[in-house]
Amino acid sequence: MRNSRRTRLILGILLAAALVLITVGHRGGDSSVAGPLRQIASSVFGTAEQASTKVTAPVSRFFSMLTGAPGAQQRIDGLRKENAQLRSRLAAAELDKGRSKELDRMLGLSGLGRYRVVPAQVIARRHTAGLEDNVEIDVGSRDGVRRDMTVLNGDGLVGRVVRTGPSTSTVILLTDPGSAAGARLEGGNELGVVNGLGGNGKYGDLIRLRLLDSTVPLKKGRRIVSFGSQNGTPYVPGVPIGEIERVVVTPGELTRTAYARPYANFASLDVVGVVVRAPDRDPRDAVLPDQPAKANPGKKDQAKDHKGKSKDREKRQGDARDASGAVQELGQAAQHDRAARPDRAGGPDRAGGPDGGAAPRRADTPGQAEERD
Amino acid sequence: MARNLLAAFLVFVALVVQVTILNRLPVMVVPDLVLLVVIALAVIRGPLDGAVIGFFAGLAIDILPPAGDVLGQYTLVMCVVGFVAGKLGEHVPLVAGVLCAVLAPAFTVAVGGLVTDDGVGWTYIRTVWPWVALCNLVAAPVVLWAVRRLHRERGRQPVLVPSWRRI
Repeated sequence: MRNSRRTRLILGILLAAALVLITVGHRGGDSSVAGPLRQIASSVFGTAEQASTKVTAPVSRFFSMLTGAPGAQQRIDGLRKENAQLRSRLAAAELDKGRSKELDRMLGLSGLGRYRVVPAQVIARRHTAGLEDNVEIDVGSRDGVRRDMTVLNGDGLVGRVVRTGPSTSTVILLTDPGSAAGARLEGGNELGVVNGLGGNGKYGDLIRLRLLDSTVPLKKGRRIVSFGSQNGTPYVPGVPIGEIERVVVTPGELTRTAYARPYANFASLDVVGVVVRAPDRDPRDAVLPDQPAKANPGKKDQAKDHKGKSKDREKRQGDARDASGAVQELGQAAQHDRAARPDRAGGPDRAGGPDGGAAPRRADTPGQAEERD
Repeated sequence: MARNLLAAFLVFVALVVQVTILNRLPVMVVPDLVLLVVIALAVIRGPLDGAVIGFFAGLAIDILPPAGDVLGQYTLVMCVVGFVAGKLGEHVPLVAGVLCAVLAPAFTVAVGGLVTDDGVGWTYIRTVWPWVALCNLVAAPVVLWAVRRLHRERGRQPVLVPSWRRI
């Protein structure tokens, strides 16, 4: 009896303490109790996480290799095909290079679309389906990373920094249900908001786009870039976000809703970059990947994904990991785009959706048949 | 003292393994290792110790580096789960462990729905929770067995036979 009463008393005290914590955390944010607590946790757990990641890297690599095995042969074929294509394109590129250089000088736009990026590696992930989706990266305030900086990888927008420790920082992903980013449709000025769904519901691995103007026609395959905010926080402008995959009919609502597939592959995040300086001017659509109009773009996308990652890794190895030097220019993608097709250099006038090329390629994806506009 | 150190060590290892290994596996749903360890410790050591261990484990989850939500949410959940598991575990250890492992994720979402405003309640219960529950269900007996094993070697406590009822 006595023992049971003591148990109840202590349980009561603990529950009261938990409720007080919730209240204080709600009101004070990071300033009061949570701040110092999280600082301590950041240094203790951050160190342990870094060590654990280093030890278990071969294991996780083995697992991802195991799951990737079925697609590997397909990918090898795709890469071979692309290799041949690239070789033939290389010759043409040499000719174009001279032209593009001239064009750049003439327009004075060489600095455009350049993000200054600190490369980082994902060391831990917190993923409760439907509730939260955060990752921990191995750069912190010592590397010049601060709160509300944009995080991206070779494919597109990944998320933003919400907290920094001395050598690690926390990134809230685009797919977290609590995150929202301003977005703009490619080739137009239609604005919207992108929300994560966190693996929730039928379209869990997609992100939701709400367009503020309900009269704008939405089409499958239109691409989204980030809209950006003042001083480039929390999101810098012009980063590719994703591609609309499903449009929902919402009669009578003030906003239009669509579901988009993000360019970044959130299932296997590895090397990401933190934008420490936004571009001077909004690069608009210039950083978007090529229109997927060719045959078998699925394979091509995969190949490109792979290529981008290995490039990142090379860069990373090349850079010494010091605070000031660890900077890379991601804007090369934009330059490359311009170099390949100088006649299309001004991104915004590439208006409109894909000209029918996208529809047949999506036909093989199950559950796409009921798509309406 | 040794038992408390062991509990702290187990929870710490579970936390680090959860965020660095389990959550990064390329699958959608993984078992919640920290939750299972807390349940196992509570079942073995009783409601009072369970509540205290749950409280501190929950606090650790709340401040674990990639954390974005409200401080105290998991503290509350884990504290209650530890107490309930300990209480039920006095009579039916294995059933208690499994039951708590299945119900705790839903409870977490319920508390989350009350203290935050993301609005994920029902869709989650319908779509994700069955899978999470199944995962936890499979992993719970294994973790229970492992933790019990460690305890037996360290503490020389009177041991519970892993059965449906206490003998």
